[in-house]
Amino acid sequence: MLLTFSDQQIASLLPAYLHVDRSMIITAMGPAVRDHLPDIRIGMRCTDAFDFVHMDMDQFFDGTQDVKPVRLIARRGTMSLFGAAVFHEHGCLLAVRHALSEESMNSGSLHLSDFGHGDPVVLSTMLISLQRAMLEESQATAIELAAERERNAKVLERTSRVAGYLGHDFNNLLSIIRLNTDRLLRKFGDDEKISNLAHIIQETAARGSDITQSLMTLSQQQTDTLLPITIDDLIRGNDTFLNTVVGAGIEFDIDLQAGTAESVISYNGLLNCIINLLINAREAMPHGGRIALSTSITRGLVTSRSDGSDPEPGAYVAIRIADSGSGMSEALLSRAFEPLFSSKPNGTGLGLASVRDFAVEMGGDVWLESQAGEGTTVYLHLPLANPSAEAQKENEVGQSAQAPDDGARRILLVEDEPYALEALAEMLEAEGYSVTPCESGDQAMRALEQQSYHLLLTDIVMPGQDGTEIARQANLGQPSIKTILMSGYVPDSASLEPGWMFLRKPTDSNELLRLIASAF
Amino acid sequence: MYGMIHRAVRQMVFDELGEDAWLALEQKLDIGPSELLTGMVYDDALTIAIISEASARLNLSIDACLFEFGRYWIKYAERGPLAAIMNFTGQNLGSFIENLDRLHLAVSAAMPGVRLPSFTTISSAPGHLLVEYRSDRTGMEQFVTGLFDGLLTRFHATGDVTIAEHKASSIIFEIRYQDGI
Ligand code: HEM
Repeated sequence: MLLTFSDQQIASLLPAYLHVDRSMIITAMGPAVRDHLPDIRIGMRCTDAFDFVHMDMDQFFDGTQDVKPVRLIARRGTMSLFGAAVFHEHGCLLAVRHALSEESMNSGSLHLSDFGHGDPVVLSTMLISLQRAMLEESQATAIELAAERERNAKVLERTSRVAGYLGHDFNNLLSIIRLNTDRLLRKFGDDEKISNLAHIIQETAARGSDITQSLMTLSQQQTDTLLPITIDDLIRGNDTFLNTVVGAGIEFDIDLQAGTAESVISYNGLLNCIINLLINAREAMPHGGRIALSTSITRGLVTSRSDGSDPEPGAYVAIRIADSGSGMSEALLSRAFEPLFSSKPNGTGLGLASVRDFAVEMGGDVWLESQAGEGTTVYLHLPLANPSAEAQKENEVGQSAQAPDDGARRILLVEDEPYALEALAEMLEAEGYSVTPCESGDQAMRALEQQSYHLLLTDIVMPGQDGTEIARQANLGQPSIKTILMSGYVPDSASLEPGWMFLRKPTDSNELLRLIASAF
Repeated sequence: MYGMIHRAVRQMVFDELGEDAWLALEQKLDIGPSELLTGMVYDDALTIAIISEASARLNLSIDACLFEFGRYWIKYAERGPLAAIMNFTGQNLGSFIENLDRLHLAVSAAMPGVRLPSFTTISSAPGHLLVEYRSDRTGMEQFVTGLFDGLLTRFHATGDVTIAEHKASSIIFEIRYQDGI
């Protein structure tokens, strides 16, 4: 089949084509040659205008091949053309095209019209360039998305702070109402009318307190009361439930050796931890096995910190949960506490991480010992509530250095709300305590200089020195002093120290009295 | 339309009215960066909603806003990472328009699901072009007019872009211009 094309048709397919006769004289050329190499004219010898790379020009027309690959470099400038030489009776069509790269495209020296329709190199080079542009835009979008996430987090944080402040103020008011209603009941409780009214007020205050509770939850505030809790009692009191958690098919042994040892912790917090750990243990043994839960009193956190950074070998209640499951490899073990890390297909990875958060917050620690094939043991150590009292019991020697010995049970009470201060002082005095009421940190510091106290009962959020600072000073000057903090709101800056008790406002008089009584 | 187009509208609002105006627009439409993902296809309804919100804020009719956006798109494409492609497409108005389909062919290879128009030069004389525009979208006339107008500016020409004829499945645009420098 013989096809004939006009110059124009060839030009639209191969805009950079050249045609030469058998003496290499240029007889036609495409627009992409004309535009870029204006020096080249019809009638010129092609070899004067171009170098033919690796080509023996004497044998160019040797007639052995119909088509030869060629590469041409313009003698002036940097233009390079490549393609095929197509031979025919009267000469040769140089079916060549510009070389195109991203660089030459970016430089703007070549244009789409310099290339033939359907030239695949053009499409792919443009595609690459376009994808690069899209990638750049996508990166910009990714940064915007990250910034937006941060903005949202900030708004959330601000909202929760506002919720926290609101909750705090509201709780303070409720606390005053509650304490004063209790006062009313104590004084005039015999009068049925007054008693009824007081109960209505109390109920309403309790409802208000539920509302602030949800505000506090929204602001991710600590809402758990921290009390001295006998850990063995907590486990004993929940053993039926814990047995259900472990489930049938697994042998569950409980061995409690911590006696009456107490730790100042949140009851629900610890229970959640134990449940989490039991669930982990159970899931490590899909085909059954044994879990041993035991408690004891121990000194130090030695096993947990290999770097020797253990602060001081204090006394701890040790909870140990050992399973006979598949155990963990070194690699798994090293990642076990990472939030969101889970070795289980459906695991959330939050279990161990939240146990660690709890333990550290309470002044303790948690760690694992495990060997693949030999089960895993979790150690959860929580500081003993009153190590000196324990020691005292052990040695039967009176040790409370500065504790008053005149028989009076002295309480230093700090509360900046005068109505709450008055009501609290009156209530405690009615219970037979000797109370020094203070409206500020300054007053409290002066009182501490003059006397020793059994107990410090203080609000947290106050102008000037806040409750945690007062507590820290008081503990420094009078190490045997017990500390109860009260607040409806715990600001981030106020960190509670292990051993301090915490009572959420609005204060429930009975709970407060119970807690105080347990401190003596 | 593709998120790439939304980003261009945003940039236009940014340039004309500042960042706050755009943030207010986002708030009104309840959208954010996730509606501006370059390589995502969004419902045309969202694109129209963005344009009509933008037009209200720019104090323009929707048609005038489409025209301005057409002009803006040319500026947007030539100053960003698309500049190389714009330069490559053509060095004068005639060849650029001639090559628009080839440009969009590459676009369609990079963006699956894109619905691109087609442009055919049906007559070309010095200072005068007749271009046939086909699209499966309607209501884009002012956008196209703005695009051609933007191209005149790009090639330092002055002139007029008008609609010469509404055909059954296409629109003929007439461009009369004078080359500048
Ligand atoms: C680098 C330059 C360009 C790129 C990357 C590009 C890309 C796009 C994209 C992504 C769309 C949206 C289609 C969809 O989402 O379904 C579009 C539409 C469109 N483009 Fe381009 N374009 C470019 C340049 C141009 C130019 C210079 C014109 C000038 C006339 C033009 C005319 C149009 C028109 C009229 C539409 C509207 C779609 C329709 O009518 O259906 N484009 N383009």
